[in-house]
Amino acid sequence: MSKYGGGERKVGWRILLGLVALLGVPSLAGAQIKLEVPEPGGAGIPIAISPLKNLAGEDQRAGEIFADVIARDLDISGYFKVIDRGAYIEGPDPLAPEQINFPNWSLLGALALVKGGFSLDGDTLTVEVRLFDVAQRKQLGGKRYRGERKDLRRMAHRFADQIMLFITGELGPFNSQIAFVSTRAGGRAKEIYVTDLTGTEVTQITKDRTLSLGPSWNPAANVLTYFSYKQGGPYPYLRDLLSGRDSRLYPVVGYRSQWSPDGTTIAVSLEQQGNSDLFLLSPEGRLIQRLTENPDIDISPTWSPDGREIAFCSSRSGNPQIYVMNVNSGRSRRLTFRGDYNTSPAWSPKGDLIAYTTRSGGFRIMTISPEGGDPSEVTAGEDPSWAPDGRYLVFSQRRRLYVASKDGRSVKQLTGGGGDDTSPAWSSRLE
Amino acid sequence: MRCARGWYWRLGCVLLVTVFISGCPKKTPPPSEVGGPGGGLGPGERGETNLPPPGDTTREHIEHGPGEEGGPLQDIHFAYDSFELSSEARETLRTNSDWLRNNSQAKIEIEGHCDDRGTAEYNLALGAKRAKAARDYLASLGISPERLSTISYGEELPSCREETESCWEQNRRAHFQLLTR
Repeated sequence: MSKYGGGERKVGWRILLGLVALLGVPSLAGAQIKLEVPEPGGAGIPIAISPLKNLAGEDQRAGEIFADVIARDLDISGYFKVIDRGAYIEGPDPLAPEQINFPNWSLLGALALVKGGFSLDGDTLTVEVRLFDVAQRKQLGGKRYRGERKDLRRMAHRFADQIMLFITGELGPFNSQIAFVSTRAGGRAKEIYVTDLTGTEVTQITKDRTLSLGPSWNPAANVLTYFSYKQGGPYPYLRDLLSGRDSRLYPVVGYRSQWSPDGTTIAVSLEQQGNSDLFLLSPEGRLIQRLTENPDIDISPTWSPDGREIAFCSSRSGNPQIYVMNVNSGRSRRLTFRGDYNTSPAWSPKGDLIAYTTRSGGFRIMTISPEGGDPSEVTAGEDPSWAPDGRYLVFSQRRRLYVASKDGRSVKQLTGGGGDDTSPAWSSRLE
Repeated sequence: MRCARGWYWRLGCVLLVTVFISGCPKKTPPPSEVGGPGGGLGPGERGETNLPPPGDTTREHIEHGPGEEGGPLQDIHFAYDSFELSSEARETLRTNSDWLRNNSQAKIEIEGHCDDRGTAEYNLALGAKRAKAARDYLASLGISPERLSTISYGEELPSCREETESCWEQNRRAHFQLLTR
């Protein structure tokens, strides 16, 4: 038990005890849930997600979309095995725990069940949704959401995050967005896009028909910085996603930036005379501080969650390696020593790991403690970006985006087809 | 009918149109047919040629493909993860500097490119180093730096898309884009 003593895991432990009580029934021995804290990438907790019932009309589509979004999120999480809807015996009705036919759901192997209803009143959407422990025939948690019709998917992502909280003890990362670069508009042009975590609700942000690269989010997830060739070289731009306002951040070319966790400062690599160094800019485009000054490549700054340190990639040793700099003192220490090509660091919002790309044969995602030590391999890919919960990474692999658990045991494809998708940036959680 | 690739060829096409009023040739003509060193369009012939506004070379590449070898200035190539000039690259740069001396009005943009093995940002930084190395060498041969601007395209505009060593080598290049002559 002490092995699983982490406080955040205790909730998941308790719920799992309830869920696996079902395994005492011999006929359900096929469900391969072991008596341990769940991990992504295992067999997965069998969960049924019933389409929500329309409580005030006949059109059931919104209820199906809600269930689809949760199913997709939970599949990506790696913690769950979503039971196919075609097998469900019971319809969206009934909703009351005493009326739900739990043995029917048990027959499908479901240990957990999502049921709920929605109503549309004009443009006002109300959703009530619950998570049930099928074996114990009781509610594990429930939420009511009220918003506009367009908020349907957002509500579903929020409830998926809640399911993650109920089962794993930690809120999920799915109510968030991923910005990326894609050629899906056609030709060689690269534009910035934003998708939700289903990978299907994709919005084109730039329409400049040039190269737009290196997106990153402000902490509030409503402003993107990116680099575009629309006025010559790759200058940094800000795009306010609420107002649509677009402005050049600074009149020097560069290659990707990252906002400090408090949103007051943007760390950026800027190129002058062929050489890239790190700088701090204000969101208003004022130069705050120069961080590096040497003839070697210094790029890809990424902040520690406390804003005191910046990890970055530098070629100062003769080939690209990851370094960590104290922002106040300016002193740097080398972090990676294995291999001769380590780039694109990303500091976990939890602070415990820095992910990066290494070249060994192909390109692979690695993680390493900010204190150093032995790196761990996640999976094949490039350009990792952390989920807001610090448990997942989005990255590109062969010009598609994937989401992996940080140990690499669960790897799920997020986008594919229609163009080359690269340089993903995972936002913080949305409101 | 399609005007051939690149600003340089487009310029040639426009001039051909004005001369022959017959449109552009259907096939991409070899350099000697529309200009280049010793060709029909010497410097000063159309002295009023406008410099494309910033961003246009990128858009030109996106619409018509990245500039390819075959213009008056030859590409140079680099080893993997390197911006060092090989003796072959230096030789090519000396030839390019001769042309630039003979075409003293010409301004060029030196593009640094990489193969796609590696991360996008690192390749942008590496492409900038490659362009700078080429620029510095041309400047050391007496070409005025004011005629030589640089831009990095990293791995964003490959001239070849196969996953072969020869294709990767082809992409690890500095390309010399004629802005005006």
